[in-house]
Amino acid sequence: MKKRGIFVLSFILALVLLGNSPVSAKEIKVLSQFPMSGPVGTLPEFGWGYIDGMNWVNSEGGGVNGKKITWYLEDFRYNPTVEVATFNRYCAEHSEDEFLMATGYITGGLKPLIKKVNVEEKIPWLDGSYSTEIFGEGGGPSKYPYYYSLGATYGDQIKILMKWIKENHKAKGKPRVGFVYSPTAWGRDGTPEGIAYAKKLGFDVVAEIEYPYTATDATSQCMTLRKAKAQYIVYHGYSGATSHTAIFFKTAKKILKKAQLMGTHYTTGRFPVLVCQEAFDGYVGVATRPFSDPIPRAKAPMDNAMVKLAHDFAKKYRPEEYKKGLKGGGIKDMFLYMEGLTYALLIQEVFTRADNAGELTRLGVKKALDNMVWDYKGMFGGKTFSYKSHTIPMMQIFKAKVKMVEVGGKPVPTGGVYPITDWINTDEVKW
Amino acid sequence: MMDLIQTLGSGVLVGLVYALLGLCIVIIYKASEAFNFAIGEFLVIGSFLFYVLFFDENLPLDKALPLGILIFLLLSFILFFDQNLRLLLAIFFGLVAGSIIFYVLFFGLSLPSLIASPILRFLIALPLGLVAAGIVGAIVERLTIKPLLGRSPISMTIVSLGLAFLLRASVQLIFGSHSYSFFLDLPDITLEIRDFLFLSDPIWAGILSIATFGLIIVFLFRTRWGLAIRATSEDQAKAMAFGINARFILLIIWAMSSVSIAVAGIMISNFGALSSLSGIVGLRALPVVLIGGMDSIGGALVGGIIVGMCEALAGAYIEPMGLIGFKDVAPYILLLIVLFIRPYGLFGTVRIERV
Repeated sequence: MKKRGIFVLSFILALVLLGNSPVSAKEIKVLSQFPMSGPVGTLPEFGWGYIDGMNWVNSEGGGVNGKKITWYLEDFRYNPTVEVATFNRYCAEHSEDEFLMATGYITGGLKPLIKKVNVEEKIPWLDGSYSTEIFGEGGGPSKYPYYYSLGATYGDQIKILMKWIKENHKAKGKPRVGFVYSPTAWGRDGTPEGIAYAKKLGFDVVAEIEYPYTATDATSQCMTLRKAKAQYIVYHGYSGATSHTAIFFKTAKKILKKAQLMGTHYTTGRFPVLVCQEAFDGYVGVATRPFSDPIPRAKAPMDNAMVKLAHDFAKKYRPEEYKKGLKGGGIKDMFLYMEGLTYALLIQEVFTRADNAGELTRLGVKKALDNMVWDYKGMFGGKTFSYKSHTIPMMQIFKAKVKMVEVGGKPVPTGGVYPITDWINTDEVKW
Repeated sequence: MMDLIQTLGSGVLVGLVYALLGLCIVIIYKASEAFNFAIGEFLVIGSFLFYVLFFDENLPLDKALPLGILIFLLLSFILFFDQNLRLLLAIFFGLVAGSIIFYVLFFGLSLPSLIASPILRFLIALPLGLVAAGIVGAIVERLTIKPLLGRSPISMTIVSLGLAFLLRASVQLIFGSHSYSFFLDLPDITLEIRDFLFLSDPIWAGILSIATFGLIIVFLFRTRWGLAIRATSEDQAKAMAFGINARFILLIIWAMSSVSIAVAGIMISNFGALSSLSGIVGLRALPVVLIGGMDSIGGALVGGIIVGMCEALAGAYIEPMGLIGFKDVAPYILLLIVLFIRPYGLFGTVRIERV
């Protein structure tokens, strides 16, 4: 009897010890989904930046106060259905107290997940979408408490462009503004707010044109803008890397010689310089990240701490891809790599803050995000932002300078987009 | 009124490119009664072949070398098994072609450094690119279409559908999915008179498309080869009985079609940029040939112009009323109306089949 008692006690003790052993310690899990292939093109750079970032976080970066993050990376192929299905699968496969945060990339994935994320799972969700509908005045933390955007809304981006017009309009009379946007949820998002703000500022909104992705030419759109005598044209809801952007800019440059072409975050950057070449020269666009990847890459200004960090990471972990650039499997645009990296750095920061508060749970992560005031490793020139509005309300206005030069007898574009304003915090802007 | 003329003029210029695309469908249909669904992919391949030569776009070794080897194997295979050439000769010619392809893709022709004038460079790169496009068309025909000769035309149509997926994936693998800037720098012939404005690129597109269209007509109606093609198109069995090599005719037609598609592709890419997704323009050929008539060469021209004008009118007058995307749908609505009145298209041959 005594022997049996000792045996049972030993067994219980063993179970207790096993339960406390590191083998069954609670894991910190995060799921990230990036468009690394699909209709927007082959963009593995997002994944590379994220992989390098998360590997660094778990090694030299010290993890979350020494604890490693179990991270999952999925390519959602720019397909919201895939994004939703993958998230649902992870929710089913991983326990609530371990799977603490998820990240997505497009508005199309956010909308079908509203209930799942905000009501059922209550899991903090970081997203690359700048949807005004979700993150703007009609949405925001009160309506979608677990959604967080990694940038300022499109509505705010267009409104900042309107403010720039107001400050820089030199011609006589009211500024005449035309809007060209894609017939998608993306293109329609933010445009009404921008138009309303333009009218509020006393501008003449002379044209509103939906220009589809399937366009083979943009003559009729540009002629409409010409007839309307538009002085400023806001081009929104398009990737700067696609052929329809090249078609529009090339045509607009010839038909609308005096008009100022403008655009939002995803039309600003390195790709349009490569694709539109000189037609992109003079473009003024707003962006939520420091776009500093000119052509040639060697001339990239390193005055921004995050840009320098991203370049250092790429040189260290992806030397071949960094050097290749556009050539076969290289890093085509450092913005893409930097974007993946910034996700990793933000995830580490927020988990560490939650852990420091002794609440490494979904709710704890949410509290850490809500209370976050951070300089994002110097991304905004040392300025800090508050996440209380669930958006990172920082943006900067850039201007494109593109020049064709002869390299080996071949004309190639050089230049890039360069900041013409300081970082603007939209929380502090008086509209 | 001025607006209407401007819109119609722009429509006609784009319509001429569509007409060329339509012609490529028609000549294949007339010869084999098959519909080439891979037209968009041929358009992209032809444009990229020109792009490599004109812009001196080199590929890395891991892509150029396998492509060179692939061309060597395919050509040797075709020359040995199809053309019954001696094995050593077949290997020799295959090796030469493979080496040239590898050299051009990896080292480039360096045309920009050799020839400063863009127009001269264009005049050299264009025929070279078109020849390359024609060879690709011929290789594809030998490997996929020829084995189906004598079978139901529907098999060829289905094969062309599969071919489209294969070619699209291959292009993405080689050139990636991003867009390539496409500025030809042809002499500026922009037409601007008061409120009229016709840009240089669409005018060039119209001119080159109609010129290619004309050359094909001359080839078909003024040469012995053209006569053989027309005879084969009329009745394959009878043509063969008269000693015409119908298999070779089919090869020529596919090569010719690839060349013409490449011209259309180059012109359309010159509106902005080239990417593996540019092939979507190929779909525009569908309403063109169905409106004009599947077997009518003149119908392709008329159909192309009608579709171009229809798109332009819809874009200028209907889309601003809030019907966004109507420009893309309008040719299909017109197609339904035409087919309702004339089921074989405006100029298609009426066939009465008694069961």
